[in-house]
Amino acid sequence: MPHGPYDIGPARPRLDALSKACGAERFSTDHYPPGMLWAGVRRAGVPHGLIREIDTARAASLPGVRRVLTRADVPGANRQGIVHKDMPVLCGSRVRHAGDPVALVVADSRDVLRRALELVRVSIDPLPAVCDVDTALAENAPLLHPEHGSNLLLAAEILKGDAEASLKKCDVILEETFFTPSQAHAFLETENGLARMDEDGVLHMTVSTQAPFRDRFEIGHALGLAPWKIRIESPFLGGGFGGKDGSTVQCLLGLAAMRLPGRWIKMWWDREESFLAGYKRHAARMEYTLGAMADGTLEALRCRLWYDSGAYAHLGGEIMELGMEHAAGPYRIGSMDCRGWCVYTNNPVAGAFRGFGVAQVSFAFEGMMDRLADRLGRDRLDLRRQNALRRGDRNCSGVTLTSSTGLDECLRRLREDELWTSRQAWKKAAPRFTRRGVGVAAVFNGMGYGRGLADNAIAKIELTPEGHFTIYSGVSDMGQGNASTYAQIAGETLCQDAGRLRVVQPDTELAHPSGSASAGRTTYTFGKALIQACELMASKLIRRAALALMIDEPGGFALVPGAVRHLPTGRELPLSALGAMLTRDDRICVAEYLMPVSREVPDTGKDFALGFPHLIFPYAAHLVRIEIDELTGAVRVCDYLAATDGGRVLNPQNFHQQIEGGVAQGLGFALMEDFATSNGQVATRDLSTYLIPTCMDLPDTRSLAVETLEHSGPFGMKGVGEVGLNGPLPAVASALSDALGGYAVRAPITPETVLHLLSAGARA
Amino acid sequence: MRSVHLPSSLDALWPLLDDPQARVMAGGTDLLVGLRAGLPAGPICCLERIPALRGVSVSGRIVRIGAAATLTELLESEDIAAGLPLLRASVRRLGSPLVRNQATLGGNVCTASPAGDTLPALYALGATLELASRSSTRAVPVEDFITGPGRTVLRPGEILAAVCVPLPESGAIQHFEKIGRRRALAISVASLAACLELDGGRIRRISLALGSVAPTVLRCREAEAWLTGRELTADNLTQAAELVRAAVRPVSDVRATADYRRQASANLLLRLEAHRP
Amino acid sequence: MIIHFSVNGRDVERDVRGDERAVDIIREDLGLTGTKEGCGTGECGACAVLMNGRARLSCLTLAAQLDGAVLTTIEGLGTPDRPHPLQRAFAEHGAVQCGFCTPGMVVAAADLLARNPAPSRDDIREGLSGNLCRCTGYSRILDAVEKAGR
Repeated sequence: MPHGPYDIGPARPRLDALSKACGAERFSTDHYPPGMLWAGVRRAGVPHGLIREIDTARAASLPGVRRVLTRADVPGANRQGIVHKDMPVLCGSRVRHAGDPVALVVADSRDVLRRALELVRVSIDPLPAVCDVDTALAENAPLLHPEHGSNLLLAAEILKGDAEASLKKCDVILEETFFTPSQAHAFLETENGLARMDEDGVLHMTVSTQAPFRDRFEIGHALGLAPWKIRIESPFLGGGFGGKDGSTVQCLLGLAAMRLPGRWIKMWWDREESFLAGYKRHAARMEYTLGAMADGTLEALRCRLWYDSGAYAHLGGEIMELGMEHAAGPYRIGSMDCRGWCVYTNNPVAGAFRGFGVAQVSFAFEGMMDRLADRLGRDRLDLRRQNALRRGDRNCSGVTLTSSTGLDECLRRLREDELWTSRQAWKKAAPRFTRRGVGVAAVFNGMGYGRGLADNAIAKIELTPEGHFTIYSGVSDMGQGNASTYAQIAGETLCQDAGRLRVVQPDTELAHPSGSASAGRTTYTFGKALIQACELMASKLIRRAALALMIDEPGGFALVPGAVRHLPTGRELPLSALGAMLTRDDRICVAEYLMPVSREVPDTGKDFALGFPHLIFPYAAHLVRIEIDELTGAVRVCDYLAATDGGRVLNPQNFHQQIEGGVAQGLGFALMEDFATSNGQVATRDLSTYLIPTCMDLPDTRSLAVETLEHSGPFGMKGVGEVGLNGPLPAVASALSDALGGYAVRAPITPETVLHLLSAGARA
Repeated sequence: MRSVHLPSSLDALWPLLDDPQARVMAGGTDLLVGLRAGLPAGPICCLERIPALRGVSVSGRIVRIGAAATLTELLESEDIAAGLPLLRASVRRLGSPLVRNQATLGGNVCTASPAGDTLPALYALGATLELASRSSTRAVPVEDFITGPGRTVLRPGEILAAVCVPLPESGAIQHFEKIGRRRALAISVASLAACLELDGGRIRRISLALGSVAPTVLRCREAEAWLTGRELTADNLTQAAELVRAAVRPVSDVRATADYRRQASANLLLRLEAHRP
Repeated sequence: MIIHFSVNGRDVERDVRGDERAVDIIREDLGLTGTKEGCGTGECGACAVLMNGRARLSCLTLAAQLDGAVLTTIEGLGTPDRPHPLQRAFAEHGAVQCGFCTPGMVVAAADLLARNPAPSRDDIREGLSGNLCRCTGYSRILDAVEKAGR
């Protein structure tokens, strides 16, 4: 362990970085307990149908096969889900997407498992499949969930003012329809875990998960187990981005473990299975009508949004909610009429993904701003600055922004940057067969769960007998570095060196429920709780030290590295002495924190059980310079600049890492990622057809921190985990229209699109 | 239960190939991916340890490349860098450094994918393939070796032993461009390999080979003939591009539409203007 | 079949099946889980190891091919107590977020630096172009390799 201060402010390297770089850090995939069995899933293979028969006899009789389980073997409700419990652990009568699980095989080895899965005979009578939102919503469309009554998971509206009336008074009205694709998380570590049911009926699980505490309830409901008899350990994840929020392997593993008690059972989805069965970003269609005045004031937005949920709900309603709440962008606008439909289809299941419903609408609202600026002959940055939300404004959902709102400053930083000021000269200098464009985008992304679901965390810190501190993290670290940030928070509050700080990754037996690693909340909520727990600890240690040193009152003490010091006398008591003398109960401090929610109760958004509205938003302004090849339509990203308001920066390295990574995923979303299906069958089955950017495809993103003070946040911060991903698609679209004059309405922006715009421009 | 053999000489290899189910493997970057998708069981004979199948040598005006030489070895070869920059450029855009450390030229040729990255260069350079079996060797021009997607004229018990590439005339211009959906680890969407000899600005000789726009690599002989004797100008190249556009027979797939391939591949000719003296 | 090879300086003998891949032997048999698997098809680079001094994809290498080879995995390059300069550079320069791609990146970078001790940033980009990272956007990885190279 490195020594030296581990405090807030400097770019302290992460505590886990060296271990990971040496291959010493064990991920969930890296456990192979002796005597372990392998579990795998036989999946439907067709997008919609009724199961006639599952013949498991041949598979079950293969030597080395331990069990072949079907729906009949599932106790409990056989339904998993985060909010809506609509997803079977194993399908009994109906399959709703090609990846729907039909049988679970447990075998001695992967080889036997593979052969056994092939031997399971599944007969499915196909039903007509609905593979897009319009077909799913058509009259007499086959229903995926007949008990639900329709294929509409959720219809909702967010209304502010009277948009229709306002539109009539506008000087300019612009209309456009935008399309964004389904996107795969493509984390390097695919979905996986291990499970064992012990002699006391306790289910032990080590799993790559963003929500170990909630998983217990999801598993418990699905399998009829008491949640407190499930212990889940969540090591560092090899990426999550939302795709490991909600049960992936957990219920299946729990089932296998229940049916083979005493044995460790491992499940690890290979890349193809991850593409088929894992969660994806909702594909969306967005119809926008924007009304503005000649002076650039935004007056009214009418928008209609359709989100494709795939076969099950996951967090579809909540994702659409967040998109709708952001639908008009980070701007002052007089009125909004936003309606959304989240629709079941027989496509693979859509779920949480960084940028949670907002990545989609960012393409739309920023596309409209560019069109408006062009129509009015206005500078694209200036128009955005004119309308940028400021603290105290009401946003497009009618909610007052009482929290930090730094967008204008982000835009100002772009405006004075050389990439912007030199743009005309840069474009003129384009070489042969090349066109250049400079684009901008303003984005935001609400932090936390919003109203209706307590965004709560409980932090626990322990003084060890040796006088070190162990922080029991309650929130998974999927690469965003919150584990190290917790250590920094403790290091700052307790004035201790890195060598005395240890963070234990979430273990539901040792830590306390603290919510999921999602929604940009992983530092904010747990961090606030941890500060309190550390303050309790400091205060306690001081009082204990005062007693031990026989100093009759605890004033004048301070914690210093390794000790408690009485400042007036200089006397010290080492932490190791305190650790030795206190009982375990007395060495532990626990505190909790609940994220504030908006005090406003807008008279809209009532269709949302939870999520609406949000209170705290990070903001960002992005700038991109691209080169377009006229012969091939290829787009090269030359430069990327992101200015982000995340409140105060606790650790510049961690802050910029989030922005750089978000931009990388956003550029993939903009230019090359398209999780394609055809009649419900996956067309992009592996990493050779689903393309994410390599290091040759990305520039070095410049990330600027535009610091505001988020009073409610730990040390003044707010979470920036998501907002970076929302900028690149609209920024690239902006650069494209700057270069070619034509606008892209569909993502990803492919070379085909570019060649069409080039030839349209040539004809015009 | 699959058996794997690692012969260290051709003599040790031939008896292994008497088994009709036996497959040869060099880098494994195609075969092992195929096995994962479920090719039938059968013995695998690794070629990487057979010295006769490795190495790059120059004899007269011919560069002889061992079929099991890795692509990285090709990139490190000074002979290829000096004499066959077209081939070098193609190899450099294939896969990734990790893939190239084990993949081979022979493998890329025998996989015979319509999108094989090294193939357009070999067609444009007029490469000849040296096929060997226990009893004989024969030489087959690369254009005759590949008969369709994934299909070659290899007979049972026969392997590709070497690729022989004639060095172009000194002063010849060698040009390569690949269109992929990203800049590494990308299956080619369309590619152009060209070799030209100029007299001043006039084209004395030209070969044009396009990849990923037909079941096999396309030598565009109409465009070559039209350009021969003409000046290397943007106008002439634009006209020749029309002939290419008419000649290609691309398909639509998850990477690109046929229309895009037709348009973009023909456009690649225009880039040759950069070589005008 | 029985094979003999050395791994991280240690000689081992193993009985392997024809179908087994090097990555399975490394991770499961030898317990060296630092080498990761991300795709099984050679598209991500997470499984990279040094075999006879060259980086290659252990998911596209048969176990049998290890016979007679000198194998170095990420653990053989360095440990937290005695890290390789690349490992230290990755940790110090913020090149590690989730860390799953990191071993493969370090192995590929080690191979690059062995052949080209003073690579340009473009050389490094090209050298790491077979290693996918989903977290970082790559810039800090390039920084780390640049710094380690010097």
